[in-house]
Amino acid sequence: MAVRAAVHGTVKRREDPRLITGAGLYTDDVRPERCLHAVFVRSTHANARLAGVDASSARGMPGVAGVFTAGDVLFTSDTARPRLCGESVKFVGDAIAVAVGETREQAVDAAAEVVVDYEPLAALVDSTTAADAGATLVHPDKGDNIAFEFDIGEDGALEGADVVVRGRFINQRLAPVPIECNAVVAEPDGEGGIRMWTSTQVPFNVRSQVAEALGLPESKVRVISPDVGGAFGAKLMAYPEQSVIAALARDLDRPVRWFEFRTENMTAMTHGRGLVQDVALGARSDGTLVGMDADVIADAGAYAGLSPPQLVLTAMLASGVYQIPKIRFRSKCVFTNTAVMSAYRGAGRPEAIAMIERAMDMLAAELRIDPAELRRRNLIRGEFPYTTATFCTYDSGDYERALDLALEAAGYEKLRAEQRDRRDRGDRLQLGIGLSAYVEMTAVLNTSEVGVARAEPDGSIVLQVGTTSSGQGHETAYAQLAAGLLDVPIESIKVVTSDTAVVGSGSGTSGSRSLQIGGSALRAACIALIDQAKEEAARRLEASVEDIVRFDDGRFGVKGVPATALTWAQLAEGSPLSAQAGFEQSDQTYPFGCHVAVAEVDVETGEARLVRHIAVDDCGTVLNQMLVDGQVHGGVAQGVAQALYEEFVYDAHGNPLTATLVDYGIPGIGEIPSIETVAMETPTPLNPLGAKGIGESGTIGATPAVQNAVIDAVSHLGVRHIDMPLHPMRVWEAIQAARTKR
Amino acid sequence: MEFLQPATWSEALAMKAAKPEAVPIAGGTDLMVEINLDHRRPATIIDLTHIKELTEWGMDDGRLRIGAGVTYARIIDELGDRLPGLAMASRTVGSPQIRNRGTVGGNLGTASPAGDAHPPLLATEAIVELASTKGTRQVAANEFFAGPKKNAMRADELIAAFLVEPARGPQQFSKVGTRNAMVIAVCSLALAVDPKRKHVGIGIGSAGPTPIRAAEAETFIQEVLEEHRLWERHVHCEPSALKQFGELVAAAAKPIDDVRGTADYRRHALAVLARRTFRWAWDDYRKSK
Ligand SMILES: Cc1cc2nc3c(=O)[nH]c(=O)nc-3n(C[C@H](O)[C@H](O)[C@H](O)COP(=O)(O)OP(=O)(O)OC[C@H]3O[C@@H](n4cnc5c(N)ncnc54)[C@H](O)[C@@H]3O)c2cc1C
Repeated sequence: MAVRAAVHGTVKRREDPRLITGAGLYTDDVRPERCLHAVFVRSTHANARLAGVDASSARGMPGVAGVFTAGDVLFTSDTARPRLCGESVKFVGDAIAVAVGETREQAVDAAAEVVVDYEPLAALVDSTTAADAGATLVHPDKGDNIAFEFDIGEDGALEGADVVVRGRFINQRLAPVPIECNAVVAEPDGEGGIRMWTSTQVPFNVRSQVAEALGLPESKVRVISPDVGGAFGAKLMAYPEQSVIAALARDLDRPVRWFEFRTENMTAMTHGRGLVQDVALGARSDGTLVGMDADVIADAGAYAGLSPPQLVLTAMLASGVYQIPKIRFRSKCVFTNTAVMSAYRGAGRPEAIAMIERAMDMLAAELRIDPAELRRRNLIRGEFPYTTATFCTYDSGDYERALDLALEAAGYEKLRAEQRDRRDRGDRLQLGIGLSAYVEMTAVLNTSEVGVARAEPDGSIVLQVGTTSSGQGHETAYAQLAAGLLDVPIESIKVVTSDTAVVGSGSGTSGSRSLQIGGSALRAACIALIDQAKEEAARRLEASVEDIVRFDDGRFGVKGVPATALTWAQLAEGSPLSAQAGFEQSDQTYPFGCHVAVAEVDVETGEARLVRHIAVDDCGTVLNQMLVDGQVHGGVAQGVAQALYEEFVYDAHGNPLTATLVDYGIPGIGEIPSIETVAMETPTPLNPLGAKGIGESGTIGATPAVQNAVIDAVSHLGVRHIDMPLHPMRVWEAIQAARTKR
Repeated sequence: MEFLQPATWSEALAMKAAKPEAVPIAGGTDLMVEINLDHRRPATIIDLTHIKELTEWGMDDGRLRIGAGVTYARIIDELGDRLPGLAMASRTVGSPQIRNRGTVGGNLGTASPAGDAHPPLLATEAIVELASTKGTRQVAANEFFAGPKKNAMRADELIAAFLVEPARGPQQFSKVGTRNAMVIAVCSLALAVDPKRKHVGIGIGSAGPTPIRAAEAETFIQEVLEEHRLWERHVHCEPSALKQFGELVAAAAKPIDDVRGTADYRRHALAVLARRTFRWAWDDYRKSK
């Protein structure tokens, strides 16, 4: 079954007119009558015993419907992370109480009136000391700070190497900073259940957790995730606040809403990355890789989030796009008194690619081989699927072509010549060229989805699937796919997602899974719908199904008898035609690509600026190049952000130092050059669309490319590594350190 | 909270005299942030945005007198040719929205060591005009900044205007930050060259408890220019003199280590900015002949 016209079509995003004109529906736009406002009281200590929480005076304040501390709200399930802390707090931002008022201002004032008696304890902030004997224990009853350990490979991975380069790379902690912070509106549904709206990537997961917490069957909890203003992985777990707000709506028998403040969001929402990588890469003198040996410490934060499974992804992807015969990867994920670490765009994969791509540049410098040439010599070539030393089976790829396309688009040789000239002249602004050849895995873990396609009597087509867009453009992609398959105008298609009362099931959106899994399920549903339409036409026209054909105008009829042919609307008259189909993918898919970043560094001040960014990203068969480019642009911007600007910092006592957008420097449009994207398509055999994910590629490819570019700009001064973010001072200090060493 | 909205300047001064604890608001781009973050809960606010005089500027005895309520956007548009240094600094302030609302008066009111208007005001020896019901007084910018976020204003005073001579020579402003805009600078520097008075003024920001005028560096470079008759000869300064100049600017700073940068780095960067902005300005001066 061919997907007609629509594939490769650059259809403009159908959701944009709504979103751009303010006609979207975000959780904040849901305003039930008589709605109460909740504000959390959060820990100002990173580690403390709670000697007492006194809410008595807060409860007497004007407009206060209630102030709730641990034990005031009954839950039927326990969580490792207390929904409201009663005995101790583990990080600045841990929730202790919640104040509910008639207005948000009254709730804020009541929350400020709650007196918390802390008995402060020493805080553990540095993940590299968490496993040391005598370290402060984040969870004393556990006996140590180890949340998870994961090892692959045997000792001796570097045996036979002529040269070994070593480095300690810090993949810093980042705050996800979605424009829309966490948000919940919950109300009693009048029948003993709860109806709630929340900004999430996983409405079904939230439903399960809320149902468990409230002791309700899942059918009694309806979760709607309306328009979501950015998520980036940070809305991939159900938050304790979602259950708390639902319970308050139940207990107060009124709608309750809660919206994070920005600083609350910066401290209480999950963070991402936070890895310390001690890596050694060995090669023969001609540059052929022999092996890699890595010891990695991942910060879990105060409670287990998704940091442990992400560490597995980092280990699995350690080989990158290279043939590395032996890989030994040892890792520990450790608790600290900091915000919970979880998914952030790429979630484990950018960390792996940053490690190998940084090490490749160090090796190139050591061997005095051009970084592009060193990469070329070691690329995985030939037959796919290809299985790495870390047991990943790459489905399809052409890594050399991606490298070639990127170098060509960048004008690599000319850039190197320009770099030589500037070095010879001793220019103040030195040029750096950074490469990152990458592969990543998408549709991780959640590999199945169910789709429904329905023809309505008014001629419209309704699609339902269990993925949840947080800005990616699903309403466009799915409609475009179905329009091609069903041969109907895209305007007649309605995409319905993210409402647990309407859509049957779903795993939400993460790991760049939506089009390949959700889209493949919808494709199967559409094909089944066409079969149903043919059967219905055969029944009405009293013909056999084999004789039913589609005419050029899209109607179904008996071969050679267009006069009696029936439209979708006619076929759906009386009762709609509805088809449901599932899709399960046998394995992850592996998008890949190559980025080239060109940076200018002021060697006097250390200021670095990205001047060009070339991105070759291959996500298999492309449905809509405009959507793909959009994902790449956003992803690259976030990669640039990590490389040059962002870092979430705690002081030694666990106080956040970057909890506002003044101190946490997300880049603006002025920092991002016009991104030069180059298209390339290598379909995957693992799904009928040939599609792989694209949501995270930009970040995975861009981060090391930009970091490598800046370091490359000052490598002639003897600099071999600088940790991200490459703030002016860091770059300058690295130059100074290299000078004094020489 | 009490919200007062005087329609005239004398009314505003009377309100401030009656309630010295009342907090004035101009663009609100500092004050509203403080209120939103709950760093401050003023009992009374005096809204100055309806007072016409504060939004006016004109010549006054050879000086420009610029009302405290003139926004950055207007400084750029209306005074860019006469106050190029202040205009350059204004262009780096926040975003278009902030430049449309934020005022130099508000910058002075906050008196942050990182305030971007301050270095050019120091470099051009501007004067701040303070007013109360008892009268007005003039304070040199150099003496206006009293400590971290402290200024020379008395409790019953408001800032009426600032006075500054129109530029007679090249002016420069430069800062080092982690990103281009919307960021608190790691350090900043303004430099003004006045060929008529054979004067070079230097103001530095984000490098001490207050914005700082680098007086010793000013004297040094003036002596160098004088001694070698560089004003007349229109030639470049010796690199060794420039190096020393940079070091003197750095020495004027009193920086600290914080999340944005170390004291060492700030001193180094100021020396670079000093040499660089002087070279740019001096090039302009040489070419102006
Ligand atoms: C997003 C953002 C970005 C920013 N970026 C920058 C930047 O890059 N560089 C920079 O320097 N600043 C920046 N600021 C800070 C701010 O915009 C400036 O300090 C601005 O000059 C303040 O002017 P305003 O008129 O808004 O002051 P307001 O907030 O109205 O007032 C500030 C203070 O001055 C007092 N005040 C105001 N007018 C008078 C008066 N006539 N007499 C006596 N006291 C008075 C007020 O009481 C208050 O204490 C930024 C702010 C924001 C929110």
